Amino acid sequence: MNAALEAEGLVKRYGARTAVQDLSFKVPQGSIYGVLGPNGAGKSSTLRMLVGVLRPTSGAITVLGGPADRETMKRVGYLPEERGLYRSMTARGAIAYLARLKGVPAGKAFKRADQLLEAHGLGKHRRKKIKTLSKGMAQKVQVLAAIAHEPDLIIFDEPFSGLDPVNQRVLEETIRAEAKAGRTILFSTHVMEHAERLCDRILLIAHGRAAFEGTVRDALALAPSVAVLETDGGEYDLGAALAGRGFTISEELGEHGNRRWRVRLENGHGSRQLLQACVEAGAPLSLFEPARASLHEAFVALVGDKAQPNAAE
Amino acid sequence: MSPVFLVARREYLAYVGAWGFWLSLLTAPIIIALLLFGPVLLARAEPPRVLAIVAERTEDLTAVRQAFADNARREARAEIRAYLDATAPAIALEATAAFDAAPNRAAGIEAARVVVSRSAPRALAAFPSPTQRYQIIQAPAPDVQAMRPYLDGTQMLADGRTLFGALNIRRADGAPVIEYWSTGLSHSEPINIARRAMRLEMQREALAAQGLAPTEADRLDAFDPQVAQFDPRATTGDGQVTLRERAPSYAALALSFILWSVVFSVANMLLSSVIEEKSNKILDTLLTSVSPLQILTGKLIGVAMVSLTLFLFWGALGGGLLSLAADRASDSIFGQVAAAFLEPRLIAAFLFGFVFGYIMYGAIFLALGSLCESQQEAQTLLGPVALVLAIPMMLLTPALDNPNAPIVETASWIPLFTPFLLLIRAPSGLDWIEIAGMAVIMAASAAIILALAARVFKAGVVDQVSMSSWRGRKDAKG
Repeated sequence: MNAALEAEGLVKRYGARTAVQDLSFKVPQGSIYGVLGPNGAGKSSTLRMLVGVLRPTSGAITVLGGPADRETMKRVGYLPEERGLYRSMTARGAIAYLARLKGVPAGKAFKRADQLLEAHGLGKHRRKKIKTLSKGMAQKVQVLAAIAHEPDLIIFDEPFSGLDPVNQRVLEETIRAEAKAGRTILFSTHVMEHAERLCDRILLIAHGRAAFEGTVRDALALAPSVAVLETDGGEYDLGAALAGRGFTISEELGEHGNRRWRVRLENGHGSRQLLQACVEAGAPLSLFEPARASLHEAFVALVGDKAQPNAAE
Repeated sequence: MSPVFLVARREYLAYVGAWGFWLSLLTAPIIIALLLFGPVLLARAEPPRVLAIVAERTEDLTAVRQAFADNARREARAEIRAYLDATAPAIALEATAAFDAAPNRAAGIEAARVVVSRSAPRALAAFPSPTQRYQIIQAPAPDVQAMRPYLDGTQMLADGRTLFGALNIRRADGAPVIEYWSTGLSHSEPINIARRAMRLEMQREALAAQGLAPTEADRLDAFDPQVAQFDPRATTGDGQVTLRERAPSYAALALSFILWSVVFSVANMLLSSVIEEKSNKILDTLLTSVSPLQILTGKLIGVAMVSLTLFLFWGALGGGLLSLAADRASDSIFGQVAAAFLEPRLIAAFLFGFVFGYIMYGAIFLALGSLCESQQEAQTLLGPVALVLAIPMMLLTPALDNPNAPIVETASWIPLFTPFLLLIRAPSGLDWIEIAGMAVIMAASAAIILALAARVFKAGVVDQVSMSSWRGRKDAKG
């Protein structure tokens, strides 16, 4: 496996606080790689080290076969978590300016900016100043600016935050298209669904340390099985009925006056044992559905409730 | 294109593209012209101040009235002489002689005008029509107490004007006492005119008491020694100091003020620019392509280009006028001051001062800006820097009095003050070797400050060190 990016024993300390602790991973060339973790887990510090903005306290980084210096960074596109563009620049000017800083000649930079804006539905806004664009449009312009110089490696820090569902979907398509064009994509997120839909491999970080590194399928295999149940009416309490039988039960939002329950199948208990327990307890079941575990549940299983991705939101 | 020049270019275009830039480019010369000529125009536009004089003795009344008439004549003569020195120096002496030979002020003005119309008709277009500062009228009431309603504005004069002030000259044990009544409490010139007149009157009386002719007092009062100042360093001529010799010092003072205000305003532009970039959250994007030092250098170059554009425009305008004046009217006051601005040592001092002063202060302001999250936060840091910048300004007056005073000389070698004090010392016989020495020290300091500022800038923009985070740590420790 050729690695587009390789980190070995990365450590970043800010004074007495350690943000990243002994992080090692490889991003295969041409893959979509997700760095997942809750807010404050150390994702942004890791990404800022990868693009050479932050100097690691210790550890080694190899980007596209070389050191993470500015020459190599010309082949890397980066969208930082804290986003912004020059407000008085036009959309076209902003994209071309950042491409030119990456070494793209002026003529080509402007041509590329026009193509990208046209392709992403912003053609008629290309001469508008950033300050006159909506927040979503401005964010789209910044994503385009990160890929305008046709980089071999694209690093996005929390690219979906601040986007509405439609634009999130559009960005997912952009990421897929860039990967299809042979580029390596690495992005960080604290929303597991994006990673689940897009990533070939993921790195789960909690408290600055790697909790898991591997394929999404491997991560899901670590999650406990679950079953989703619904009981008729609003009175019956399945949680109380199955108390002491070794199941972890949480209530979810039900429909049509029914109550919905999510049960983790752990400690040797499978769906069969659960169904038997429900029958014995006389539960008025209207739905019993063994469900596929999510990445979120895998993460919780790996690092516990306190570090779970959406806990900080 | 190098990233430094791309950053500089963007910075330059961002400022030049703003309407505020064009506004300041075009309005600054108008504002400067208004500041220079406004007070003169306003003074000319002001109607004469109406004064009334009452006196116990007719002789006192006559003496004080005559003093005001003489004062008005002197002022008119000085205004005409200053105008002719600047516009037609060749006929200035002839015209003032004609003025002096005339029996009164109005006739004097007309006599001077006739000389100008005959010998230098081009100077007639803007020939001054001096207005009298004071008009002495017949008192509207027999004594000051009765005049009070006129003086406090509750009653107008018969012609609708306001009485500005009244002088009451009385005698106490034979000695004159001058009382001045007016609501213009800060204006005391009428008292001084009256005092001079009454002193002369007292001298006349004293001489008469001794059996001498009272007019002897006027003769004695007219005694005035001829004074000349000489410069022992002069290599040509007799070394007499005239305006031509003093002009470089005034030019240096003016250039120091210009340099100071330019450095301060341009450094403020840099401060705002970096704070804007921090608040725009664009620095992380830039830092993958450009190093903090390159951003810092690019910004310094970009904003320097902005000020150069301003200088080029204003310089072309001002320089053109100065060259014209130096060339066409080399004998006039204006021509002599203009020539002083074009003195090579002054120009060298200004260029060194601008380049290195700009780099030093610009780098400091950029570094400070990188530590601030907002303009409000920057204001708290600006205070100490403004105090440092105020020191050379405080030294300008003593430096003008004695450019080689120990405190001025010592301060001129302190790099942060050198740009301004080098300028003020340059006309006082500073050697080229000293100018070069100061330039070298400024260059070395600018390099050191730039390197230190780059480290602070990097800490501010990369490691997100800020004033608030320092305060936070300090509070946490406390």
